[in-house]
Amino acid sequence: MAVKTFTSEVLTSADTNTYLANSGLVYVTSATIGSAVSSVTLNSCFNSTYDAYKIVIAGGTSSTDANLALKLGASATGYYASKLLLVYATNGTFFVCDNNAASWTQASFAIGAGTGLDMNVDLQNPFLAKYTYMSGYLNAATLGGPQSGVHQVATSYSSITITPSAGTLTGGTVTVYGYRLG
Amino acid sequence: MPKPNIQIDDIVREMTEEEYAELLASGWRETTDETPSPD
Repeated sequence: MAVKTFTSEVLTSADTNTYLANSGLVYVTSATIGSAVSSVTLNSCFNSTYDAYKIVIAGGTSSTDANLALKLGASATGYYASKLLLVYATNGTFFVCDNNAASWTQASFAIGAGTGLDMNVDLQNPFLAKYTYMSGYLNAATLGGPQSGVHQVATSYSSITITPSAGTLTGGTVTVYGYRLG
Repeated sequence: MPKPNIQIDDIVREMTEEEYAELLASGWRETTDETPSPD
């Protein structure tokens, strides 16, 4: 789609519909996290319309500090990830891996005391019968850094589950976007 | 003592015994005093 620059025109329905239909990142589904939950599943968040997705969690709070694990469907094997985490205050670094884990064990953090939940992860191929690739950034109150990973099971998945390593989550929103094809 | 809640899409309910056992098997703890770290 050619980029069209609007200045002082009144937008026509045709132009508006064209730009809506051709947006790059398209909302697929979301869920508002309930009260004191230890697991959140979103069904039907992947489909044949998109090959790549973005998962975002914002707002909310957790009862305690925790890692947020991310799982595809019911699959509990084949998750690999590598992360480089940098501690803001000390410049110290951690290297962390998932090696054939039962989930991406630390796809993001939940920091207690009401500082908010966080996840910003891209997935490629979750609905295709191929390996699913994951990338994103881990953001916490005291440290952060990039991560990349793969789920080495060539199966199609249509759902995700997010589970804190400890405690419960309350509030906030899990939103899934699709990257529009072509 | 009630078990933690599970959310599936927009439905929130208390976990079943089986779901709670699976959560515990994953290493989940009720609380932690640790700051999230790569440990």
